[in-house]
Amino acid sequence: MSLPKTKHKYSLQQRLVLAFGILLILFLSLTGLVLDQAYKQSVEAAVEERLQLQIYALLGVAEPDFDGSFFVPDLEEARFNQLDSGLYAFILDENGHEVWRSSSSLNINLAQLNLLLLDIEPGLTVFGNAENELQGPMSYAAYGTYWANLDRIFNFVVMESVAPTEAEIREFQSSLWLWLGGLAVFLSLAQFMLLRWGMTPLKQLAGELTDIETGKKEQLGEDYPSELQALSQNMNMLIKSERQRQSRYRSTLGDLAHSLKTPLAVISGIVQQKKRVNKNDLADVAEQVERMNQIVSYQLGRAVQSDQKRVLASPVAVEPVIKKLGDALHKVYLDKQVNLVIQLETESFFYGEESDLTELLGNLMDNAFKYCNETVHVSAREEDRKLMINIEDDGSGVPEKQRHWVLERGARADTHHSGQGIGLAVALEIIGSYGGELKIASSALGGASMQVIISRN
Amino acid sequence: MRLLLVEDEDLLRAQLVKALEDGGYIVDSSQDGELGLFQASEFSYDAAIIDLGLPKLSGIDLIKAIREAGKVFPILILTARDKWTDKVEGLEAGADDYVVKPFQIEEIKARLNALLRRAAGFAKPVLEFAEISLDTSAKTLSVAGEEIELTAYEYKVLEYLMLHPGQVVSKMELTEHLYDQDYDRDSNVLEVFIRRLRQKLDPDETLKPIDTVRGQGYRFNVPPKNQA
Repeated sequence: MSLPKTKHKYSLQQRLVLAFGILLILFLSLTGLVLDQAYKQSVEAAVEERLQLQIYALLGVAEPDFDGSFFVPDLEEARFNQLDSGLYAFILDENGHEVWRSSSSLNINLAQLNLLLLDIEPGLTVFGNAENELQGPMSYAAYGTYWANLDRIFNFVVMESVAPTEAEIREFQSSLWLWLGGLAVFLSLAQFMLLRWGMTPLKQLAGELTDIETGKKEQLGEDYPSELQALSQNMNMLIKSERQRQSRYRSTLGDLAHSLKTPLAVISGIVQQKKRVNKNDLADVAEQVERMNQIVSYQLGRAVQSDQKRVLASPVAVEPVIKKLGDALHKVYLDKQVNLVIQLETESFFYGEESDLTELLGNLMDNAFKYCNETVHVSAREEDRKLMINIEDDGSGVPEKQRHWVLERGARADTHHSGQGIGLAVALEIIGSYGGELKIASSALGGASMQVIISRN
Repeated sequence: MRLLLVEDEDLLRAQLVKALEDGGYIVDSSQDGELGLFQASEFSYDAAIIDLGLPKLSGIDLIKAIREAGKVFPILILTARDKWTDKVEGLEAGADDYVVKPFQIEEIKARLNALLRRAAGFAKPVLEFAEISLDTSAKTLSVAGEEIELTAYEYKVLEYLMLHPGQVVSKMELTEHLYDQDYDRDSNVLEVFIRRLRQKLDPDETLKPIDTVRGQGYRFNVPPKNQA
């Protein structure tokens, strides 16, 4: 049972680590990108909303003169009044001429901003980015408005320096990736621990198998998780049946060797003690040879027969086996012209090896063909998970006194009376190995009735 | 009766050939399946004995090939495997009976006899035609209840004719099935056997059991008793 030393591409653990790792990286980077984008968008939207609000505030207080100049009282927003505060406001006329600017924007060079000729439909706001040498990149909002009493159009422009929002975004990004990185490390660690915990039963299984291999243990333990329990139980059964088979081989070999010694001793006695061998001695030798033959057949039959009734037992339909044997036996007993009647009430199945069923029924049906006058009945049915096969003939039957003796279990071939044959002994052995029983009775046909009953486990 | 024996064990083959020849059979033997198939298709046999474990072509395949070639002579399997699965496989392949090793030579002879008799359509070991009855297991002849001594060759000729009743059997066929290949095929010898058989079976010349069909051969023409 030593494990083959072939190198598999990846171990289970490697597979899981790799798959989970790739998934983790993909998931976290995507999450990061999405969050980053969403944050940027929300910040930009907030800037636009803020600028819009400032424009409305400006509109609310601005008063034009007849000559087109504007009077704007002190604005509530303090930053408009503080030079280079980062928040700036202008009012331009339809020709791009500046008509007013806030105190904060005294240092701004409007010519650099390309805002003078903005053609904005009244009532609409336009957003954009502009750059000035001194103040750097800025976001602006420009609103066009029609002054009916002057019959003129003015553009209200509010600008804000980008630097603070960009700093805000940068700060968000760095803390975002820091958290995601931390999460990746934590999840990786957790995954490693979970895998170790999840793989423990498999490691335990491998360890126990090694122990069984080296003889330190007899069986796998019982404490496996439900997913592995079927495996460990089947493994235990396999190990058990393998052990039983081994011990059966051993005992068969022992029985074989011992039981062959008696006839060998007889023959060796004849050869050694007699100077001249006569006809009677030859008959003795022939008898011993026949005995040895029976012993070998019986013990081989015992050793070869399977005991896998529960492990990997697959259903074998009984009918085809009976028919096959019937065809074969018709050929062998052609002279007798046996009338074979097969009666199957239900479709019956035998749970075990087909060769065992063939051997079992072969021996019993052979006896029926041999001892019948002209009729053999074979019937089979399944009831309460029990397979019942009845083989009857119209021969002289088995006398009641002999039935017990015939059925005696473990009757060894070398204790059989000559002429008894080993067929029944082999059949009994097979039935026994499946935990079944054989009943001998009188058949309504007049001869013997052999009933095989095997429960399905 | 000419038999084909296919067995790869030299000792066992020699033993069987000797025993069967002593029993009055003509035996051709081969030690592997391919040679066996060649012989089976080239020559005419009354029966074959085939071991299942053969080199080159397994016994089962050999039996299948013989049957596929349309040969109907009975086949007896020799096998060391006494599991029913193996027996059924052999019989399904086209064999007619089996003998499990080790065996008594007498058993082989008895099974062969039965196969030959059955192949000729007789259900019982005693062939009965009117007053004449030939016991194929004891190899004895009786006419009107009286036992009649036959030599081995006379018996062989009579058995072959009686196993093919009503059929014209040519001298050639008789020679092929009753004598070894190297036997001097002088047809006079056959005629002598036939004449002696006629005298023994029918001293008063009332029954005339064996016809001579001019230019073709002989025919056993007594109607079977009851049914064959």
